[in-house]
Amino acid sequence: MKHPFQIIVADTTGRYLFTTVKNVLLVIDLTSGKLVGQWKDELDNSDFLKKKYEEKFDKENDSKRQKSESGQAKVSKIPTPGPGAPPIYNYIRALRLSSDEKYLFATTDSDKAVVIFTIDHSKDNCLELKKRQPFSKRPCALSVDEDRLVVADKFGDVYSIAIEDDQVVNEKELTPILGHVSMLSDVAIVSNDKKKFIITGDRDEHIRISNYPKSFVIKNFLFGHHEFVSCLHVPNFDQSLLISGGGDDYLCLWRWYEGQLVAKIELRELIAPFLTDSHLPPERFLTETSPKEISVARILTFTNKKTGLNILVVLCEQTKAVLLFEIDAKLSVRHLQTISYEDNVLDMCYIEATNTLISAHDSDKNQLFQQQKFDEETNNFTPTTETMDAVAELNPIDVNSRNDFLPLYYINTLRKRSEH
Amino acid sequence: MSTDSESKRRAYREEKEGARKKSVKLAPEATPESKPDLPRKRYYRQRAHSNPFSDHSLDYPRNPDAMEWGKLYPEYANTDKKVEIADIGCGYGGLMIGLAKEYPQTMILGMEIRVQVTQYVEDRIIALREKHEKDEVNYQNIAVLRGNAMKFLPNFFHRGQLKKMFFCFPDPHFKQRKHKARIITTTLLSEYAYVLREEGVLYTITDVEDLHIWMVKHLDDHPLFERLDKEWEKNDKCVSIMYGSTEEGQKVARNKGSKFVACFRRVANPEE
Repeated sequence: MKHPFQIIVADTTGRYLFTTVKNVLLVIDLTSGKLVGQWKDELDNSDFLKKKYEEKFDKENDSKRQKSESGQAKVSKIPTPGPGAPPIYNYIRALRLSSDEKYLFATTDSDKAVVIFTIDHSKDNCLELKKRQPFSKRPCALSVDEDRLVVADKFGDVYSIAIEDDQVVNEKELTPILGHVSMLSDVAIVSNDKKKFIITGDRDEHIRISNYPKSFVIKNFLFGHHEFVSCLHVPNFDQSLLISGGGDDYLCLWRWYEGQLVAKIELRELIAPFLTDSHLPPERFLTETSPKEISVARILTFTNKKTGLNILVVLCEQTKAVLLFEIDAKLSVRHLQTISYEDNVLDMCYIEATNTLISAHDSDKNQLFQQQKFDEETNNFTPTTETMDAVAELNPIDVNSRNDFLPLYYINTLRKRSEH
Repeated sequence: MSTDSESKRRAYREEKEGARKKSVKLAPEATPESKPDLPRKRYYRQRAHSNPFSDHSLDYPRNPDAMEWGKLYPEYANTDKKVEIADIGCGYGGLMIGLAKEYPQTMILGMEIRVQVTQYVEDRIIALREKHEKDEVNYQNIAVLRGNAMKFLPNFFHRGQLKKMFFCFPDPHFKQRKHKARIITTTLLSEYAYVLREEGVLYTITDVEDLHIWMVKHLDDHPLFERLDKEWEKNDKCVSIMYGSTEEGQKVARNKGSKFVACFRRVANPEE
């Protein structure tokens, strides 16, 4: 069987699909159904760890030797992970295109790096590695501002690096442009009346708005979530709006500049039929009244080109469904449709050029991609007759069983479960 | 530590907890029969460090408007007054008690992350309020809560709400890799600048010279803070209270240690 695709991103033309499988990045030409770009993260974790500790110990041991007069100081050894140590996966965790779609950005877990590719469709392999910039903490989310890539990390810090500059900077010399004391989950650069701002969301329930690039000035906070924030989405049709989601039963619709919560979009009732025992808290936190937990995995918006109606698409983690809403001119939100699938949805992207919603699935039957067409008359999605199974066959990662999958559902692990 | 002395301390704290529950904070009408003595510090001992990154089960308001300040300041319950002075990591509360006399009309809040230390300050304030019920300085304007200021300050205070913030004898976190746990970092200063109004003052004092140098460097480098000079420090009442009234400060003095002070003014946000 094949390992599922984990992240999918399409360009605006709808011709190219960028996707990740385990430690491989693929670019698929949807018109020809051919693979046009590929990159594999072949970094060996143990080598990376070894290098890291060697550097550290060289320094330490030198100073220890200097300190002890006899020169017989204890010299540290490189630690080897014990049997119970959590595995480090060669994950590609975030994927993003630059606004001009000339660059592709990805983050790798293996060496906590951001990888920048130049996209050149005239080449046999359209992905050309431009730079691999390591960070001291694991990058979690990416955003782009013109020629700079904005990177939010697991330790709560945000960095900005030049996209064009090929030079890799020593990670210790990078200074954050802002920081939370909590793991960051998403970041967005937005503008209002020509002034730019940066919005950051974290594992506590904070959404912060700071000036940009002078991000030491905090404009305000958006208080509306009780649980972690995982998704920040600013719709193309109205940049003054923000839709945020995370571990709550609802999404928040904001006028972010004014700091005003316009609406809460309830998800619980709509998604309840698709929640399973896998949505219950881990056993040690489980009680008789524990609810099944909702974690928002992806928020998309687009506009019905014919009627001008704005559409919101929501994916909750580990469900076989996608929820569709309309947002009217008065910003009231109404449920339109629940698309249900045979297998859990891992990610989705919408291609406006072709009115197509592509989704990636956790499927045992190699039905790894599904597509649905949006009908502008009825405001509904219907499955297309042609399958994407042939495209899914381009997947190079064969596995024996589900046990060989990387963890596919991790957003709910952001939920805080404090004991003391 | 012997189990005996630990259980004795626990028993003392449990007794005080009963008194605390009866006190103004939870039932404003209740009047205790006998006036309690000031609590004794030795029953509230706790290790000096707390991990600011851990997800303690903390009580904090969803946003500043959701905070029920009346429970902490019953005399101010029906006024529009807001907390304007915050002592971050207030420890045993000495600074607040000093400030209460100097600013009897200003609401002052101490935030402390260690549970038992917070309880001590709470008991101390209850006792002071009862003891000075009829005095001009009645300690109704000071209060303490357990909280993680590094994570949740914006949940308590609106933008520009504070006119003074104190950081007295913060945990030095000596190890290099623990430096992000320090209470003064470049990124956290932006949050302090957010809750501090223009012309507001951020006070620091420590007996650890390395930490002093670190704090000064980070504050100097931050575009929203500007150092106040020695002359200003000399004339400022809060500096002398900070120098002499905190428990940590007195301990340093007893041990004939040095104390390093640095104060910074919150300057205006830059024009776009």
